[in-house]
Formats: sequence, C-alpha cells, structure tokens
Amino acid sequence: MPEIRIFGIRHHGPGSARSLRAALDAWRPDCLLIEGPPDAEALIPLAGHAAMAPPVALLVYRPDRPRDCAFFPFAAFSPEWVAMRHGIAAGAALRFIDLPHAIQLADGFGADGEASPGDGAPQPVAAPAASAAEAVPAAPAAIRRDPLGELAGAAGFPDGERWWDAFVESRAGEDGDVFAAIAEAMAALREGAGPDPGEEAREAHMRTAIRRAAKDGFARIAVVCGAWHGPALARHDAKGQAAADAATLKGLPKTKVACAWAPWSYERLATASGYRAGVLSPEWYDTLWHHEARVAARWLARAAALLREEDLDASPASVIEAARLAEALAGFRGRARPSLEDLDEAVQATLCFADPAPMALIRRKLVIGERLGATPPDSPSTPVEADFEAQCRRLRLKPGTDAGELTLDLRKETDLARSHFLNRLQLIGIPWGTRRQARGRGTFKEAWFLSWQPEWVVELVAASAEGGTVAQAAAGRVRTRARAAARVSELSGLIGTLLDADLAEAGAEVIRVLNDRAALSADVFDLMEALPPLAELARYGSVRSSDTAPVLAVVRGLVPRVAAGLVAACQSLDDEAAAAAKARLVAVSGAIALIEEPELTAVWQEALRGLADQEHAHGRVVGRAVRLLFDDRAVAAEEAGDRMRLALSRAAAAPAAAAWIEGFLEHSGTALIHGRGLLPVVDEWLCGLDEETFTELLPLVRRTFATIAPAERRAIGEALARPGGGASGDTAPGRTFDAERAARVLPILRLLLGPASETREWAAPEEDVR
Amino acid sequence: MPQTNGSQAAQPREAAQLRQAAEDAFAEEIAALRAADDRPRPPNWQLSPQAVVTYLMGGRLASGFEITPKYIGERRLMEVAVATLATDRALLLLGVPGTAKSWVSEHLAAAICGTSRLIVQGTAGASEEAIRYGWNYALLLAKGPSREAVVASPVMRAMNEGRIARVEELTRIPSETQDSFITVLSEKTLPIPELNEEVPARKGFNLIATANNRDRGVNELSSALKRRFNTVVLPPPATIEAEIAIVETRVAALGRAFEIPAEPPGADQIRRVVTIFRELREGVTADGKAKVKQPSGTLSTAEAISVVGSGLALAAHFGDGRLSAHDLVSGIAGAVVKDPVQDAIVWREYLETVVKERTEWKDFYRAARETA
Repeated sequence: MPEIRIFGIRHHGPGSARSLRAALDAWRPDCLLIEGPPDAEALIPLAGHAAMAPPVALLVYRPDRPRDCAFFPFAAFSPEWVAMRHGIAAGAALRFIDLPHAIQLADGFGADGEASPGDGAPQPVAAPAASAAEAVPAAPAAIRRDPLGELAGAAGFPDGERWWDAFVESRAGEDGDVFAAIAEAMAALREGAGPDPGEEAREAHMRTAIRRAAKDGFARIAVVCGAWHGPALARHDAKGQAAADAATLKGLPKTKVACAWAPWSYERLATASGYRAGVLSPEWYDTLWHHEARVAARWLARAAALLREEDLDASPASVIEAARLAEALAGFRGRARPSLEDLDEAVQATLCFADPAPMALIRRKLVIGERLGATPPDSPSTPVEADFEAQCRRLRLKPGTDAGELTLDLRKETDLARSHFLNRLQLIGIPWGTRRQARGRGTFKEAWFLSWQPEWVVELVAASAEGGTVAQAAAGRVRTRARAAARVSELSGLIGTLLDADLAEAGAEVIRVLNDRAALSADVFDLMEALPPLAELARYGSVRSSDTAPVLAVVRGLVPRVAAGLVAACQSLDDEAAAAAKARLVAVSGAIALIEEPELTAVWQEALRGLADQEHAHGRVVGRAVRLLFDDRAVAAEEAGDRMRLALSRAAAAPAAAAWIEGFLEHSGTALIHGRGLLPVVDEWLCGLDEETFTELLPLVRRTFATIAPAERRAIGEALARPGGGASGDTAPGRTFDAERAARVLPILRLLLGPASETREWAAPEEDVR
Repeated sequence: MPQTNGSQAAQPREAAQLRQAAEDAFAEEIAALRAADDRPRPPNWQLSPQAVVTYLMGGRLASGFEITPKYIGERRLMEVAVATLATDRALLLLGVPGTAKSWVSEHLAAAICGTSRLIVQGTAGASEEAIRYGWNYALLLAKGPSREAVVASPVMRAMNEGRIARVEELTRIPSETQDSFITVLSEKTLPIPELNEEVPARKGFNLIATANNRDRGVNELSSALKRRFNTVVLPPPATIEAEIAIVETRVAALGRAFEIPAEPPGADQIRRVVTIFRELREGVTADGKAKVKQPSGTLSTAEAISVVGSGLALAAHFGDGRLSAHDLVSGIAGAVVKDPVQDAIVWREYLETVVKERTEWKDFYRAARETA
C-alpha cells in the first residue's frame, strides 16, 4: 500500500510554498498529484523549460469558443508551481487531478452559467457572465477560496500570509505537522459549510485520481491541493467512496478543449485586476519568497529606488531610518518582522515626509509590481492566437499576404465585423490595417490599407495576459489606458475608439472612469475638449450600429459641468489662451447644437450669457460668447448691438476693444454675407460712431476684417451696396433709397473693407451705386 | 556643570495655576499606567511604548482604571509617533492649525519622560542661544568662559537629563537658527567650542517638533533637517462625530479649569458649532448638496473649542447659565469674520442661504441677525 500525504496549501502563498518545498525535499515523493486541469497535463514538462519565467498561466479554452476559457496563473511563489518544479527536477511523476475542463467548460455543466465551480482553484473564468455573477462572492465562497485567509481574519490578522507566519512558520517543528494541523483546521471549517454540487464533482474526480495513482504502484504519493479540499480528499479510501464518486462523475457532458502556456503579469495576479483568487500585493509576496531574510531592507530599497526614478529625493540614510522605524513598529505591534503595513507607514514617515503624493506616484509599481512572465517560443498557441486565426478565417482576411487596400461597406455585416476586428487589433498593438480616406460619399464607407508584419505574432502571445480573445485583450488594453489617462479629453477619444472596435463592455467602464474624472476635474477646458468628439459619437455613432445612449448620457453630464466652470475658467487668460478658449467655445457650441437637446442648450446659453456679462474676462472670449448667443437667437440684434457699443466705447482700452471685436467677428465672412442679421448689427454700430471714435477704432476693425478672405470681403461690400442691404432686416421693403447719403458712407467702407491693393476690385460695385 | 532648573518639574504646582501641564493634570493616569506596565521600556523612559500609546488613545487598565483618550483620531498615527521616538529619531508633527499638534507633543513628552516643559517656542526672533546655550555675562566677564557661566537652553537640559525636548512652530524659526538642530539630531551632542567641551546627550533624549504645514513657506525646513525627522501629519478630525467628541471633552476640561458655573453645553449646541465650522472650512454643506464660500480663517477645532468655552462663560455670567444661541453667535461670527469685508460677505451669505433654510436653527438665525 503506497503512502499518501495530502498537502493543503494556500494558493499564491509564499509561506505555504516554502513549507511545501521543505516537506517535498524531505519526503521525496515519486508521484505528485496537483490540483490543476488534467487537460493540460501534457504541458507540465514545459514548466521546467529554461525559457519559462513566471508569472505564467495555463490557459484551457474551447477552440470553438475561445471566450470560454480558464486561466491558472502561477507565480514563482505559488505552491503548485513549486510542486511542479520540484517534481520535474526530482523526476517524479506529475499529474493534474482537478475535474477536467473538457467537462467544466462543456455546455450544460453546472447550473446557470456557473462556468467555474472551482472557487478553490486559482482560476478566474473569463466568461463575462460568470465573472459578473461572481464579482461579489457570498461568504461561504470566500471561505472556500481562501480558507486560511478567513482563519487569519477570524484571528484578527489582516492577511493570511501574516497569520501563516505567526502560527505556522514560527511554530511548527516539523513541516509535516504544519499540513496535518491545517487539515484539522479545514475539517473544522468545512463542518460549518454546506455541500456544493460543483465542488462535489471536482473532489470526486480528485479522489478518483488519487486511487488511480495508488493502483499505478507509486510508493510515495503527494497530493497538493487547496487547503479547503484537504479533508475531502483524505476520504479517498473510505468505504464505498469509489462507487459514490463514480456515480457523481457519471454522465457529465464533455467538450473539446485546447491548452496553452501564456505569459502572465503581476498586475493580473493582483486582486485589483478582478482576479478572484488574486493577492493584494504580488510584489510583496515576491519579495517574501525571493528575499526571505531581508524583506524589509529589500522592500525599502526598492521604494527608494522608485522614488528616485520619479526624481524625488530618497537618501540612503532615510532608508535606514525607515527600516528602523518599521522594525520598531513591528516589534511594538507584536510581530516577528515588519508587515507590508508597517513598511508602508515607515516609508510615509521617513522617505515621503508624510506627504501622500509621492507614495501615490509609486504605489502601483511598488505594491503590485510590473513583472511580466515569459513562455518558451515553442509552446502551443494561446487562445488569443487561436481566436485570431478563427476570426481571420471567418472574415476572410489572410495575414501574411501582400499589402493591399480594403474598402468596407459598414452596412454589410461582414464588413462591419472586419472593421471591428481591425480596430481591435490596433488596440492590442497590431496595426495590421491603417485607415485611409475613403473615396466616394457616405459615412458608411471605410477604407483600410492592410500590411502584415510577422513579428506581430509576439503581440498576440503577449495579449493573452489580457484576455482569452482578441476582443477581450483589446478591452483589457483600453482599460489600462483609461486608468492611466490623465485628461478627460483622452478618455473621450478612447470611447470613440471603443465604439469603432465594438467593445461595448469596456466602453461602459471607460465611460464610468470618464464620469469620475469629469466630476473631479477642475480643468474646464479639458472637459470642453472632451465634449465635441462625444457629441459627434452620440449623434452619428449609429452609422456603425453601435449603441450610443451611454455616450449621450456622458454628454448630458459634461455640459452642466462645463457650464458651471466656464466663467471661472475664462478669467485672466492671456492672448494665446484666449484664442484657444475661443476655439473651444465654438467647438462646444457646435457640439451642443449637434445634440439638439433644449435642456442642454438652455444650460449652455446661460453659461455663455454669464460669460458675456464679464467685464474683466478676455475680450476675445466675451465677444465670441455674445456672437454665439446671437447666432443661437438667444440675444436679439438690438442687444448684440448694445453690447458691441458698450465693449467698444471710448472708455474701453484699445487692446480689450480690439480683442472683443476680433472675438465677435473673426472668421465670419460667410456669416456676414449670408447670416441672418449679423451684417446690419455691425453696420448700424459702425454708422452710429462719431467721427473721432471712428478714427480711433478704425485700426481695430480693419485688423479684424483682415481675417476675412478677400472674396468674402467683396461679397460683404456687395451686400452692403445692395439697396437696403446694409440696413437691418426689419427695414420695410420698398423704402426709398437715398443714394447720395449712401454714397457718403462708401469712402469709409472702402477704407474699412478694401486694403489699398484691392481698391480696384471694388470699383465696379461702387460705380453701380453711383 | 550646573544642575539646571529642570528641578522645577518636581515642584508641586499650586491649584490656582491657570493651566496645568499634562504631567500634572494627568499625574494619576501616568502613575496607574506605570504601575500596570510590565513591558520593556526604552532607556530613561518612564513608560513602555505600548503604555504611551494607551495613555494617548485611552483605554481601561487591568485594574479597572480608566485612561481618558487624549488624542481622538487614528491609533496608527500615534503608534508611528511613539515608535519613532523609541528608535531615537526626532519626531516632526505636521498639520493645519488646530489639529492637536502641540497637544499631542505635550502629552507624548509628559508620558515618556515625565515633563513637557523643556520647550523652545519657535518665533521669527528665535536665536541660536534658545536652542544651544547662552552665557551669564556677569560671570563670563568676571571669570572668563567656564561651565558655570553657561546658561543651558531647554534642548541642552533635555540632553543632559535624557528627556524629551519640544520645539513649537519649528518653521517659524529662521533657517540659520534651524540648522543648529542638525548637529544635535545627528551627532546627539552639543559642542561648546569656547570651552573645548561638549554636552553629550544621555539615553532617552529626543526631540518633538511641531509645524504648521499650511504656512510651510515661512521658513521651509532644509532637506538636511527634514531627513533627520520622521514626519507624522495629524489630519483634521475625519468625521463630525470625532470633532464633536473633541470639542466636548475639551470644553468640559476648560469648564472645570475656569470654574465656570454653567451647565455643561447641550450636545445639540456643540453639534451646531462644529457643523458651522466644518461646513465653512470644507466649503460644502454637511449633506454635500450645496457649496459654501470659504472664509479666510482656518476655523480649526481649537477655535470651535474656544467659541463654546467663551459661550459658556457668557451664559454663566450674563445669561441664565444655559448655553444658548445668543451666547454662541458672537463667538462664531468673530471666528469666521477675520477679514472685515470679504469674510463678512461670506458669513452673511452663509446665514441667508444655509442657516435660514434650517428650521431647527431659527433661534440661531435670529440671534445672528440681531448681532449683525
């Protein structure tokens, strides 16, 4: 009869991994049974490959639906990884004994889309339905996932690792005892928990595998499984268990699955990434595992190095002091060595001078870490690669063929899907297609230039760390970019990209981030920049049959924010900033006109009115605000004229007045020619000036009119020359035209509208009038 | 070497003293903690670090003796502060006015070394003598430089006795003078070049400095000095409940100290004062729904305490002994209106837009209108 030992471990627990390594080294089993997907058994030897560098993950996926996949991430400090490496080095037999994913991923397995029954196993299931349902795990599920963590919590420890340190590592004399004690604790914990059908099948399979290994004639069989399963697996040789297990496993559905090793990242190993069995700080565990003896020094030196990278002062003396403080804090809180929390506080007090900003700058790198894994080049293809190939086949796109043009008609389903696909690839760093200007009319046409580079295969493999399919990986990239984006306008650009790539789900998240940023942002101009592209999307996005309602909701949220901050933002601008602000005002006005929602228009007009009333804001902005209001008919011609007179009255300083008229009239040749009533307003004002004022203002007005194209200027002159053309719109038709009086104005108009060189062009209309 | 007048600390203080030092006011608590304390103490500390934290945060001893909380806020901040002092690193307490920096520093010193009186008050006129040593010029002229002629500063006395020295408002001290601390903190010794001698610090010596981080610009610490401190920022009270608790305990203590014959203030009055202060300080109403203009003053918790205290005195001596809106209003207006033009507008606007809307605040609104 072989000797069978069960090692209940804590997934991704360095303490647990260390105990396991010591136990395996001492006992030297000839067979290792590991809680992992048997489907991937053939890939185990690759774990010993020289080019394999954790963090890596085993992926199990359905080739027909790569979205249905499971990841088993391993870091250097994962006990399962330690067991694999030990087995390979020692030449022991290695088997994965979990319920095969051929069953777990099959249609009809488990109830209500519970694609992953394995809360205890370290895999997130990427299927969105499952992850959404399990985002908020019920308490029993949490216990099953990290039972040792729960025990630690009950004992008042914030983290399972620290509990392991205090209760397991520092006490157990012989490592075997550790696992016996854990099994006992788990048995007690399990008593309180009800049976779980999904767990039943998995444990039945594991027990069956243990019995099979026993039959195969191994002498020392080590079973490495999540601590939670320990007591259930210990029952493998109970009477009648074999029959019961066979009954549980009978008739389970099956499907075809494929497996691959994929490079993983610490970021995706962290709880923050949404990985259910993730750890709070992968980098901390990494340090605990690799530098056991000098954790604090190592950690603090890294913090200092990261601070220096950000050009912040971090002297070695401060590092020493931080280490002393951390040791003192740990001692004083009754810990053998500093915990992450102690170190954090020590860094704050010494290296950062209690300023939270520097820590915020480095926290991500320090705590989560940026380590990326690598897989051997000859390992089988990842689900993203498989998905890529499947999509290429489906969409009849061939990578590797010669470069060429591709024009898509977005009204056709295949072409739309092609467009989405190319856009997604671009997001994951594969610019296979580049957009070209489409020939012909219609927004439904899209032209691409395709050119494939063989090295992009690497990008596909790397993308596996972000998701199981091209779409998921693209969405993952966008999420990362959204998190890093500092400006709201960057995020609004991303939303457009997402609609192009049909990634509605990630879109929702980006929109949420955008809303958060917008709420906190004090930069009104940033918000103003974000608005126009969003408005355009909300209005025209439907061409690509994407749902634009959420975008519209964002626009509805942004407009009042912009309106509220507009007046304050337009204070004390210099000429350059005022020109930029004016351009944004115009763009936002256009965007709001595009949306055509009376409520938003009202809010915006109110803000513009507030701006128009500002006496000390830059004239260019104020002038344009009045003009925008006038164009929107929110301000009558008379009021616009009054405001113009006021702004350009003699008491006003010349530069301010010049800025005002520039803001009001700049680039509006067409509006003056064809626009409703603008010309009369200007004309009336100009004619109402007395001679002296006029002489003073003339340079300003000329300067402004210089921005209007010569042809337009001529057209304006023609319009003015037409009988009644210069008078305001309410001039009664048929009113007699006093040519002589009109002629008196003309020299002035010539001065005003026609620079010397162009006087000739004016001759004709002038003659007409005479 | 002259035994400095640190012996002052041992003298019994008269009850008529306006304000008692922490070590006297809480002598009983310190004694009880000392009796119950069985943990190792750093050299020259009268309590173990854990007991010091208990002294600050409050708690019940095994004997049933109740320790009152001195600091209402996060425990971990006090742990970091005490651990800093235990590793003989100097401690810098930063915070906006009224976040109990001096209060914490005083109690830390009292609990650790039994005296909170070795204090250097930082001012723009603080000279090196205030930090290092001065001379008794009569002696100096008569006998030439000698140890007898040296007049020790509080810092020098603390070094001599292995106690905690306190520096208030460190950033108000001119930069040249601040630099005198560098040798003290890094070499733990104070040279007297005139005598070719030095005063080494005894174990247990340490320094607690406080500084206002709002007016950091006054005399920003040099990075050399900054590195010699561990910094702890004391935040303003996180919640309204915490702030009310602070005001309540301090007002009760003040009432006792000044023997004000008034009833203790109602919780609703204190809540109202604290609410007004918080709303104006944060620029938003308590329900987070409306913005409020912020006045130029800091409106610290310390000011809220003094408003309630003076209100109590008014009620006791000129009112019916019960704290009413009338007694509080002038104090609050005085605290808010620091700039007679701008702040008056802020205060008026606040009264009209926020206070007026609250039906249960009618009495306060009326009182405020009358005083205005």
